[in-house]
Amino acid sequence: MRAIFITAIVIFCFLASYFIPLKDAVSQDIKSCLKCHSVKTLTKKLEDGQSLSLYIDGDKFDKSVHGVLDCSSCHPDITLKNHPRPKKIANKMVYTNEFSKHCLNCHPQNTLMKPEIHGIVVKKGDIVCAQCHGSHYIGSIKEWKNKASFNEYCLSCHKFNITKTLPSNEKISLKVNEDEIKKSVHGKFQCIVCHNDFSKANHPIYNYKNKAEYRTKMTAICTKCHTDNDLQKNPAHYALTKTASCIECHGFHGVKPAKVAKALPENQYCLNCHSRAISMKMKNGETLSVQVKESDLMNSVHKKLKCTECHKEFSSTQHPIKSFESVKDYRAMAKDICNNCHQDAVKKYDKSIHAEAFKKGVPEAPDCIKCHDYHKTTLITKDKIASNELCVKCHGKEGEAFKSSIHHNALMQGKKDAPNCSSCHNSHDVLSTNIANLNNSCLKCHKDLKSAHNKWLWNPPVRLTTFVDAHFNSASCAACHTNADKSLSVVLFDRANKKPLTESEVAKLLGIDVKEIKRKIDSNGDGKVQEKELWQFMSMVKAKAKANLAGRIDVSNPNDAHKIEAKTKAVKDCAACHSSGVAFTGKMEINRQGAKPVKFELERSAFNSAYAIPNIKDFYVLGLTKIKILDTLFLLALLAGIAVPIGHITLRILTSPIRRKRREGK
Amino acid sequence: MKKVYLHPLPIRIWHWINAIGFIILILTGAQIRFADSMGLMSFETAVDIHSWLGFILLANYFIWLLYYLFTGKLFKIYIPPFWKPVEFIKNSIRQAKYYGYGIMVGDKNPHHPTPEHKFNPMQQISYLIIMVLLIPLQIITGLMLWDPQLFSSLISIIGGIQIASLIHTGLWIFFTAFILVHFYLATLGHTPMAHIKAMFTGYEEEHEEH
Repeated sequence: MRAIFITAIVIFCFLASYFIPLKDAVSQDIKSCLKCHSVKTLTKKLEDGQSLSLYIDGDKFDKSVHGVLDCSSCHPDITLKNHPRPKKIANKMVYTNEFSKHCLNCHPQNTLMKPEIHGIVVKKGDIVCAQCHGSHYIGSIKEWKNKASFNEYCLSCHKFNITKTLPSNEKISLKVNEDEIKKSVHGKFQCIVCHNDFSKANHPIYNYKNKAEYRTKMTAICTKCHTDNDLQKNPAHYALTKTASCIECHGFHGVKPAKVAKALPENQYCLNCHSRAISMKMKNGETLSVQVKESDLMNSVHKKLKCTECHKEFSSTQHPIKSFESVKDYRAMAKDICNNCHQDAVKKYDKSIHAEAFKKGVPEAPDCIKCHDYHKTTLITKDKIASNELCVKCHGKEGEAFKSSIHHNALMQGKKDAPNCSSCHNSHDVLSTNIANLNNSCLKCHKDLKSAHNKWLWNPPVRLTTFVDAHFNSASCAACHTNADKSLSVVLFDRANKKPLTESEVAKLLGIDVKEIKRKIDSNGDGKVQEKELWQFMSMVKAKAKANLAGRIDVSNPNDAHKIEAKTKAVKDCAACHSSGVAFTGKMEINRQGAKPVKFELERSAFNSAYAIPNIKDFYVLGLTKIKILDTLFLLALLAGIAVPIGHITLRILTSPIRRKRREGK
Repeated sequence: MKKVYLHPLPIRIWHWINAIGFIILILTGAQIRFADSMGLMSFETAVDIHSWLGFILLANYFIWLLYYLFTGKLFKIYIPPFWKPVEFIKNSIRQAKYYGYGIMVGDKNPHHPTPEHKFNPMQQISYLIIMVLLIPLQIITGLMLWDPQLFSSLISIIGGIQIASLIHTGLWIFFTAFILVHFYLATLGHTPMAHIKAMFTGYEEEHEEH
């Protein structure tokens, strides 16, 4: 029995001796590695120039959770035989990434999915194991969790550049800058003071639809401490809280004290909030920035004004909440602010084609601020070329045509009296290119125009300027002073009120929709108004109003009116218009409020029809618009004038024997 | 042979200025209207002549008007006897019959002009309309077309420049036919040149009845 016992002990010892040297061998492996790696100065130069410390604190490693493992468990590619060897490492990050892969050998990815937030981080792969957990001295997570402060715990992940993409495709950064928090008024707060739905054990995942929702939800955090009652102490601030979220002005982690000294100069007081990137929301969902840059204000012509001189309802104690349907609705009010001081300019603007278009809601129609800007309000420069450029920004085609004119030449030569856009179209009361207005525009500069024309344009025996007027009234200046194709145009006109009938007025008269007018005029839909169609339409309109057609000779393409040529190239030959053989195109126009007129091609023969007499009562160009049927009547009269005597003579010759007999009979 | 002094000097002067003026106005009028197909002169020249002559004939019209007003003969010569309408119509028909039939068969002209009664009924009514209505109308519409701006208020009274032009052109057509017939009728005296000569000398010769 004893022998058996001894044998067993021997066998046990033998077997144990098998294991003991094994443990020894492991230790030997670490020891042999540490022979070199315990040297504190052991470093490796990386390709990006940085140096990587290769020093391992053996004791610290031994105490770590991986202290029982030998080096080759995590560094399987390194053996004593192949080491040291020159391994090229680009930078620390590459190295960290590469070695973090070895963690997965023992900790397969499916074991890392809990807690859920850890699973998300692992899956995304933006952050690798070693970045959070370290490498050689990994402690027990449980122990660390218990020991770590909340801030330390949260920031262990949130110090990294982690982001979240919302369903709206907007990205929010989840990185938290610890320094920023420390410097803020909330510097002593732990994360969970605000984010109290989070804890070391609980990390809920929220799925916000968009940034706006995220911001609103985050703002709710503030009101836990800063109650409505607190906020009401300052009515201006309270009003703001209804339109902007806390964090828009105060930021979030870097919350700054926003106590504003009311003794500050007023502009500074307002800018305290409005210098920040704040915006307001319109009822239709549009947003409008209400940020004001101080530099803009200081460079503007209004730099000496206080904010409240324009924004009269606001003060350091009053901040009414304004609500607008849309940005357009808001912009419509902007003009009223300008009107406080600039009544004259606004009054003029109200008459302009720009104002008409603006009222009608044409999206590109300009108001005061489109040309003068908001807070960096500027005077339109006195430099004529530059102010031309301002118009050309929107009116590019017109700007291009103007370039070929003698006016543009003069402008480029820096001539003092050279015109730019506003010289003809005015600046605030910008006018449509209506013929009467346009000719008046020419007369503004060319004051001796009438007498100059009267030198050759008069009807003997008396040299009267009214004869020049007659021509100015029925032909645009551009018709003779450009090289462009010309047209005979008629405009639908209210003869009772001496005003053009607008498209909407016509629609109202006929009791139809504005869109149907085109169909009413061009009833066969061939894109051209035939004589018959014109008279049919006119009889319809005339049944309802004292309508007529006003005529004029003009350039076919209105834009050609910008191409005014030198005086020597102007048309002086009367027969250029006063002849039925002239190749002018026909046009019909119906004016539109605040927009260019509706235009139709018109059959030229309409002007020579007898129907033109009652329908185009006030327009007649000798030769050109003659009524053709009268020519036929003239020929008939001529024939009759000749035929009657010839017939009578013939009869007299035939009857001469009767007379002879009668005389002889006597 | 009886000689009747029918045409006093001022009337003869007026008539011949008017005659030449009318012809040239009709021709220049045609040139203005048919600028692209007629080549008598340029458009500008035609307008110049037309305008000058228009004013000359305007002044000329006053020679006629003032002469007859001051001599008081306007009423006697030009106004048909509207107080004897039946007789006037009978006379007119008789005159028309003469030109249409009597002249062919060798009847005598039923009208015997005297200085106080120089027109036959048809002449009387035609010349009354022409002298009192058509020529003033042609002058006024001519003025409107001459300077539409100066006469704009007048133009708007008649309903637009198209109306002015329509009247002016219409009368141009009428006067063209009229002047041709007028010239032919002038040859229907007792000799073809009798009336024409009378328009130069003032004396109309008439065969005495035997």
